[in-house]
Amino acid sequence: MEQGYRLGIDIGGTFTDAMVADADGRVVASLKTPSIPDAPEQAIFNALEQLQKASINIADIGLFVHGTTLGVNTLIERNGAVTGLLVTEGFRDVLEIRRLRLENTTNLYGDKALPLVPRRLVKEIDERCLASGEVFRSLNEQQLLQSVEELVQEGVTAIAISFLHSYKNAGHEQLAEQLIKQHYPELFVCTSSGVWPQQREYERTLATVMNAYVGSQMGGYFQRLEQGVQQYGLTAKVLSTMSNGGIMSSTRASSEPVKTLLSGPASGVIGATHVARMAGLNQVVTFDMGGTSVDVALIDGQPAYSVDNQVGDFPVIIPAIDVTAIGAGGGSIAWVDSAGVLKVGPRSVGARPGPACYNRGGTLPTTTDAYLHLGILQADRFLGGQMELRPDLAQAVLERLGEQLGMSSYAAAQAILDVATANMYAQFTPLMARKGVDPRDFTLLAYGGAGPMHAFLMAREVGIRKVLIPPSPGTLCAMGCVVADLRNDFVHSLNKVSDELQPGELGQWFEHLGEQGRRWIAEETEQGIELDHTYLMYSADIRYEGQAFDLSVTLSSEAYGSIADAEARFHQQYEAVFGTSQPESPVAFVNLRATIIGVTRKSETVVVPAPVKTNYEAERRTIVFDGQEYQAFITDREQLNVGEMLSGPVIINEYDTTVFVPPGYSLTKDRFGNIIGEAEL
Amino acid sequence: MTDKVFLEIFKNRVQAIVEEMANVVLRTGFTAFVKETGDFGTYLLTPAGETFGSPLDTGYNLSLGIPAGETIEAIGDWKEGDIVITNDPYATGGMATHLPDVHLIKPFFHQGKIVAFGMCFVHSSDVGGKVPGSVSPTSYDIHMEGIRIAPVKLYDQGVLNEQVLRLFLDNSRIPDQNWGDLKALMAALHRGELRLQELIVRYGLDKVEQGIVDLLQYSELKVRAIIRDIPDGSYDFWDYLEDGPGGYPIRLRCRMDIAGEEIFLDFDGSDPQVRASFNIVTANKQGHYMLVPALIRYFRTVDPTIPWNSGMIRMVRNDAPPATILNPEPMAAVGARAATFIRVMDVLTGAMSKAQADKLPAAGAGQACIVMLAITDPVTGRKKVGVIQPICGGSGARPMKDGIDGMDFAVGHLRNIPAEAVEAEMPILIERYGLRQDSAGAGKYRGGSGIDLKVKILSPDTIMTARNMERMQFQPWGRLGGGVGQVGAAIQNAGTAEERSLGRIDELLLHPGDTVTFLSQGGGGYGDPFLRDPQEVLEDVRSGLLTEDAAETLYGVALAGQGIDESATAILRNNHQENMEDFSFGSKREQFEQLWSDEMQRAVGQALRQYPLALRDYLKRRTMDKAEALAQQGVQIAPDDIVKLMKDIKCQTGMH
Repeated sequence: MEQGYRLGIDIGGTFTDAMVADADGRVVASLKTPSIPDAPEQAIFNALEQLQKASINIADIGLFVHGTTLGVNTLIERNGAVTGLLVTEGFRDVLEIRRLRLENTTNLYGDKALPLVPRRLVKEIDERCLASGEVFRSLNEQQLLQSVEELVQEGVTAIAISFLHSYKNAGHEQLAEQLIKQHYPELFVCTSSGVWPQQREYERTLATVMNAYVGSQMGGYFQRLEQGVQQYGLTAKVLSTMSNGGIMSSTRASSEPVKTLLSGPASGVIGATHVARMAGLNQVVTFDMGGTSVDVALIDGQPAYSVDNQVGDFPVIIPAIDVTAIGAGGGSIAWVDSAGVLKVGPRSVGARPGPACYNRGGTLPTTTDAYLHLGILQADRFLGGQMELRPDLAQAVLERLGEQLGMSSYAAAQAILDVATANMYAQFTPLMARKGVDPRDFTLLAYGGAGPMHAFLMAREVGIRKVLIPPSPGTLCAMGCVVADLRNDFVHSLNKVSDELQPGELGQWFEHLGEQGRRWIAEETEQGIELDHTYLMYSADIRYEGQAFDLSVTLSSEAYGSIADAEARFHQQYEAVFGTSQPESPVAFVNLRATIIGVTRKSETVVVPAPVKTNYEAERRTIVFDGQEYQAFITDREQLNVGEMLSGPVIINEYDTTVFVPPGYSLTKDRFGNIIGEAEL
Repeated sequence: MTDKVFLEIFKNRVQAIVEEMANVVLRTGFTAFVKETGDFGTYLLTPAGETFGSPLDTGYNLSLGIPAGETIEAIGDWKEGDIVITNDPYATGGMATHLPDVHLIKPFFHQGKIVAFGMCFVHSSDVGGKVPGSVSPTSYDIHMEGIRIAPVKLYDQGVLNEQVLRLFLDNSRIPDQNWGDLKALMAALHRGELRLQELIVRYGLDKVEQGIVDLLQYSELKVRAIIRDIPDGSYDFWDYLEDGPGGYPIRLRCRMDIAGEEIFLDFDGSDPQVRASFNIVTANKQGHYMLVPALIRYFRTVDPTIPWNSGMIRMVRNDAPPATILNPEPMAAVGARAATFIRVMDVLTGAMSKAQADKLPAAGAGQACIVMLAITDPVTGRKKVGVIQPICGGSGARPMKDGIDGMDFAVGHLRNIPAEAVEAEMPILIERYGLRQDSAGAGKYRGGSGIDLKVKILSPDTIMTARNMERMQFQPWGRLGGGVGQVGAAIQNAGTAEERSLGRIDELLLHPGDTVTFLSQGGGGYGDPFLRDPQEVLEDVRSGLLTEDAAETLYGVALAGQGIDESATAILRNNHQENMEDFSFGSKREQFEQLWSDEMQRAVGQALRQYPLALRDYLKRRTMDKAEALAQQGVQIAPDDIVKLMKDIKCQTGMH
């Protein structure tokens, strides 16, 4: 059987995108089908049916990677398992106290997020380890089982176990897990040392609780999916995308679902990284604009990672591709406050009723209505013409807004775009400052439903000179699925000052982490994933002894065991951030980390055609922009010749979005089909 | 306000600039205060010194109303490239309020004209003085608290004044870190200047200058609209810091006058400045940032879209009488002013509660105590100092919901330290770190629960400090029938034969096996607890935050097995007289105020004014001692008697 095809499917809020690439990395099919929130797997079956109709032999698919928002939705909608939590005696309130800090100190009516496990379902267990890992009190097995029985009586179906210092000694957690599984085989059980063995009881416990909370839902879903796809003749193992941009088997994703929670935005960034690499761009900021906000991420050769992520109400310390939501989206509502000042967002209309121009009962002006009214968006070409927009409805709501502001509907529409851009700017520039980056050295890579429409406005505001819009910008996440690698992260909390380390100790710990990685890869590849090659990356969180914060230092792939080398790199990096360093001061190694990457076979020549071949005549249309009328050149991507240069305003209609290149920017199409815009001055 | 679309754009751009400046400090600042507690700030100021931009998301954000005008005037001759440094409360007219807050100011020029000033501060980990960290509650004179730097040019037209720098750094225990922090602040100022220039290039100078005017006015208008809805009147309130001179509480008193769209805060009746470091140098600047945060927080709660600038407090006037704790004469010590600042918030919240009965929360825990340990490592012999935990308590209940457990608005920016990190760092065992049962003030909406922290010491000769413990006697007050929260407590060796109550801890010597338990305050309740939904009461019992006894006595909810005993509950509740008491202050405070009524405390304050500053602390405590002793003997003491009592005491000293 020739199994050269690779299938990527990304389930989004509105659409499920599918993409098939052949063994050489050429995209042979790409499509969109509506998502089905109540039964997400059904949308996948629909996509498979459509692929069959497009004469794709499903049996030829050797690799099937898919990303789902099920986990994150379960968390946000709070409809996960009734979860119980077992903690060390004295720490019942670890979820209640959190890290203390209030989200907003200026709101007297604010709330802290309701814990996923209510206090009455948290049981204190008689056991204790010390910071050294030494057992101080052994696990009271009888009391443990008694507590579990009480939880089961309360209707608990999932149990998270998180004992103090289990990152040093996982013995008690493992024993507890074993006992529970033995006595209550039907429960979903996970341990904090298994999920993410890092020091910091709140964050580690939280990750474990989230894992338990979404675990059974995810397991059930993957089971239904695996059985379902077999009926279409799909024999490839189901793989899932992860928050770190990698992929893993669905079996493992079912037991470690907390690692998939941010996989949606992550695969978009992986897709973007691939596009950027082929286009020869190293430094890229992604700009994925949806209905309510814009997701931005930095790619500097590699995507930036973060261990300080947010999922819904909660922090997650497991490494994930660093994606931040900012500003406004296509559905953000424009309104006028009591002082007569125009605001855009933070509320948005959602898919229902949607912007006024959708004619689904929406009566509030949104950014999308503004695009349409100004002529940037074209009424009869939305979703390839499948959905007719109503300019009259947009005009009506904008006229009303204009009256409130004392201006024309066109001026009001422009004002919405300007304010939305200013909102984005207000969060974007401080974010870049925090990362220590000047975004003007970067290319803005835009995708998502509204990204290509707004990217140039954002670039202009920030002073970014170059914008790239990949082909089929609405399905970049599906492409991320197709090009992703196996990837997993491992951590060990060491907490030792360098002079306390035995010779060779650092190397031994890294070996230990590396071994975990290699074992993981071996298990994953048993399931039939073919890899091109495998490599490990090592890093450490290091600080000066006594200082309260650390730097993540990437270590040499050979000399990772060398204390001297690690210290030298730390001093150097410290110098780069703070302008000074103290090479004579003792250095503490807080966490040691290893990441293993199994590179999947792929050719570097992926060329992506548009999902639907559109064929409009080149035309000009009047648009209003910045208060002036322009004759914009209207075209689609296929009609552009590679290398030909056009000056804005240009509007490029795509199946699932519209590219707007304003005056002041010129554009060309490269040989990969990317639209590349550059500032003219 | 001219252009209401540009105004929103301009507001976003200004916010972006100050947030970006703050992030530059966050990324490159050295001290633990930057990373852990966000104790630093960035500002954009008008040429006159009014704050038109201040970050909300990063750093310390409650400093609108910071008076920079006096410093700007003091320098007078500003040149392009100047950067002024200062940390002195007295020389800046209350811009700095304690010495560790090192401020830098830079003028932002455009074509020879100052368009704005950029300002930053960071809480330095040390600026000299008698203790490491520079802040000690027992300092009684600002010279014990570190080096004072009156506004001086650190950079004169771009040229570093190395002598000034040297002078500052030589007087600190951590010169390198301080220099690092200064560089971080300067990087932020340069970034702010660059961004403002870009804004001028993009929109033109006129539009930017008009934007600044409009932005301040925009906030002002929004707040005036809020005040207009508050009934006119005078609203009195007072509250206390504990353990002041002679062990008596220190009173903070405010009369809040609302008239139309204006607010006047009269702090007359507040206690004299103290011979400790709790004084706040406000210089009675109007709308001073240490006086108004409770108002700002309230305004923003009512309207979260108010732009974050000093326009919000333009209509606030205040009078903090000289030589009081809120406007001390030089050279009173000021290091530990945070405790006072927290209580000022409570006082204004209380006063505003009288004006707006159904809008404000009951009192929260009202303390931010930092527990620290100092040990000598038995193996290396090295001395080690480390934070065990900041201890706050529950917030007050809100008019429509419960308070927040374990955390109070006043200190909402604090983060705790993972127990695992503490144990890895220090030879202690944290036996318990959780919420404190039965600590929350009962109410239709209950207060937030306090904290219960129990620490076991493993090494000999361990020194524990736990400064700024407050509300150990007077309970967090409840509202409209809601009960008081529990007071804080500290207990050594709880549950053993050696158990003893510690009261306020300054320094404690401990040995292996000793335990110390900290029980922090629950927030006050809101509304009659007998009106609380029995299901909510049941949930608190089932989750272990409330005992069954308390459910029955405080809430009139009887429980049977896992559920509610409906009929017993009905009997309990039907026989309850609804309690609508405006404030409940708890027995300790009521007891104190039996003798020390408002009039009596005022009488003491007024009598003291006849004497030189140096005598007041002594005369106050002796006079109060005397009055208490007389009252004990059954003698009636009236406010008019105080003058004579005090005079007698003065005479007994033998001084003329």
